[in-house]
Amino acid sequence: MAGFSRRVLSVSLVAAMTTPRWRYAVLVCLCLALSPLRADTLNVVSWDGAYVKSQVLGFIRPFEEATGHRVNIIQHSGGVAEIRQQVRAWNVSWDVVDMELFDALRACREGLLEPLQVSLLTPAPDGTPASEDFIELDESACGVGNVVGSTVLGFRTDTFEQPPQQLEDLFDLQRFPGRRALRKSPKGNLEWALIADGVAPARVYEVLATEAGLERAFERLDSLKPHTEWWETGQQAIHLLESGQVAMASVYSGRVAAARERGQPLAMLWDHQIWFYDVWAIPRNGRNSELAREFVRFASSTDSLAAQARYIPYGPMRRSSLAALPPELRARLPTAPDNLSSALELDAHWWSEHLDTIGPRFRRWLERPVMVPRALPR
Amino acid sequence: MKRACAVCGSLLLVMASGSFAAGESTVEELQREISDLKARLADLEALVANISAPRELRETAVLPAEKVAEVELAQAQPEADTAAIELGGALRFNVIHREDVDSSEGKRGESGLDVFRLNVDGAINNLLLSAEYRFYPYMDTIRYGWVGYQFEDDSVIQAGINQVPFGLLPYAAHNAWFGVPYYVGMADDYDMGVKYQREDGPWSGQVAFYKNEELNDAGNLDRYSYDLVLQGDQQNEEINQLNARLAYTFGKNTTCETELGGSLEAGQVYNNLSDERGDHRAYALHLDSRCGRWNFQLQGARYDYEVPDPPGVDDRVVRFGAFAGAYDVAAAGKVYVANVAYNFASPWRYIDSLTCYNDYSLLDKSLDGASDSQINTLGCAIGSGPLFTYVDYILARNMPFFGDGSLAGGGEDDWLGRLNINIGYYW
Repeated sequence: MAGFSRRVLSVSLVAAMTTPRWRYAVLVCLCLALSPLRADTLNVVSWDGAYVKSQVLGFIRPFEEATGHRVNIIQHSGGVAEIRQQVRAWNVSWDVVDMELFDALRACREGLLEPLQVSLLTPAPDGTPASEDFIELDESACGVGNVVGSTVLGFRTDTFEQPPQQLEDLFDLQRFPGRRALRKSPKGNLEWALIADGVAPARVYEVLATEAGLERAFERLDSLKPHTEWWETGQQAIHLLESGQVAMASVYSGRVAAARERGQPLAMLWDHQIWFYDVWAIPRNGRNSELAREFVRFASSTDSLAAQARYIPYGPMRRSSLAALPPELRARLPTAPDNLSSALELDAHWWSEHLDTIGPRFRRWLERPVMVPRALPR
Repeated sequence: MKRACAVCGSLLLVMASGSFAAGESTVEELQREISDLKARLADLEALVANISAPRELRETAVLPAEKVAEVELAQAQPEADTAAIELGGALRFNVIHREDVDSSEGKRGESGLDVFRLNVDGAINNLLLSAEYRFYPYMDTIRYGWVGYQFEDDSVIQAGINQVPFGLLPYAAHNAWFGVPYYVGMADDYDMGVKYQREDGPWSGQVAFYKNEELNDAGNLDRYSYDLVLQGDQQNEEINQLNARLAYTFGKNTTCETELGGSLEAGQVYNNLSDERGDHRAYALHLDSRCGRWNFQLQGARYDYEVPDPPGVDDRVVRFGAFAGAYDVAAAGKVYVANVAYNFASPWRYIDSLTCYNDYSLLDKSLDGASDSQINTLGCAIGSGPLFTYVDYILARNMPFFGDGSLAGGGEDDWLGRLNINIGYYW
């Protein structure tokens, strides 16, 4: 109705205008008159850099054009603290959140997220129900998977005569000297430490669940700690590599591809990549729940997920989206069979249960030196 | 809103009276302009919303796709300008037991305020600032204070009172009491001047020029670092000093880094009685190796003061001062340092860091009949949250503050002990 009114008003005004000096006056009035008819605004919380760019180009702009609603994109770096605070205060400004799965599981258990029914989701273009089209859908009753991302070992191609070949090279400072960058989180780092220490990927979480295994992982990381920069957002990791501040880093695979397109001398290894997927979640007690559901439905459609993958090589969670991608692009996704040969899936359930105990321990470990400090407090 | 609609209605009526002669091309043109203006309005609304929104909402309020690409490109550039000045400081206390002081023995030790210090550090864009001011029970003084500029290649220029680049840096000892180099003005020394420092891969270098000692008042003994001071018949002060230090790190960014370096210092000495200028020179070679949890430090240095003392003043010694006191030092000598330290894994959840060390240093004086001065400190530095504690057992021979020890002639020529526990809260 609002759209119809606007169109009628626009046509009348256009017909009425003859001289240029009046045009702007009329347009100003038009703008003033239309302002109360403004569409709803949705606050969508996501990540940064090339990832959010792929979402904007893949389906956020199309969503705005299709519905007339506006989307504000807010950047975050994970965790559930902010959602918990907003939901408990009934002052929710985050309408939709792109969350890591283990965070969604934790938040769902705490009752911070709206339940999302499968019926919300559109079927595939050939009519296949969403429940069959999604690769995984039952991990969290509060989240809808979007894309499979991956943490890989990235490095500068102009630093080493012989480039790194395997994950173990990250820990080999003698053969591959240079500063490292790792995510300021135990997730992924502890898994890599154990794998580099000889633990088979299939047994990583079994070992990590023991005190001895945890200690073993931290000890392996000890050797890197004095030479490591700690990043909190994916873009920081790429920036550290691009600026030459570090020679190797754990990075999200899609960010490396974007950096290479910009001409940066970066490369990555799929060896022991850690793959995971994010989910769309809707915090409880929000004012825009219906519009948020509409957005999730749109964003998780076959076309949207396929469109996003064209801007960042992450694997869509829908089989129909994957089928819509050209073979050369599918080969660059974390989910390509060749890239999965030594991969480890981040165990979101395990982390959702252990992060509260391992997180503080990791932070304490970060603060403790493993070499004689260059300068003690005076 | 009603007013806006009324104005629009009036405008429409006025324009409608003579408007229908407009051609089709004009209508299309106007429609394009309306579209453009709508888009601009949307951008402006987004901008206004962004400005008025809470901080977290400002991050990426609706941007056209091409602008998002620009945003990402901008993020890939070197980090944006920042402005952050931080305040810090420390409050430290000493618990002491001096074996050579009867009253200390009788009282079974002493305790008191060591220092209360305030720090200001930060950067506004590439302009740097760093300063520290200290309050002791018997004096207060600036330790350092400089402004600097960080160039795009990360090299830095500092102007003001800054640390003299000489020998092992930043300190030639691990313990709180320091060693011989500090007491002869060759370690943790601060003067007034300009310093440029840069790193190129494994190479690091510093060049500096100091106009004079840090306070521009050589008669003032309320100072942190040891300099020539004006006391009694000794009226020499340091002026126009050049420093250069070059070091190469083997195995940089590996688990075993070894820095090998050399330092040069050359300056003038002005005598206030004779109104003449003399010279002083020093040079040093050092090795600083960090392998795993071990740290080994070695340094050999030589210094020589040729001071233009007037007749009747002993020019074989020069007078250094700081901490509200002064003492004589041989005008020429050799200084040796041998330190070892080990960083232990935390033995207890409440201990964040534990580093134990043994620091040894010696002054070989070029003075006939003078005994060597030596100091050896065995101790540990323990960090626990904001608390940092040094527990040092110091043995000194012919050192100031230990009996009649002197860095000029000698002293009792006996080893004298002191237990020094320094407890500090740092923020």
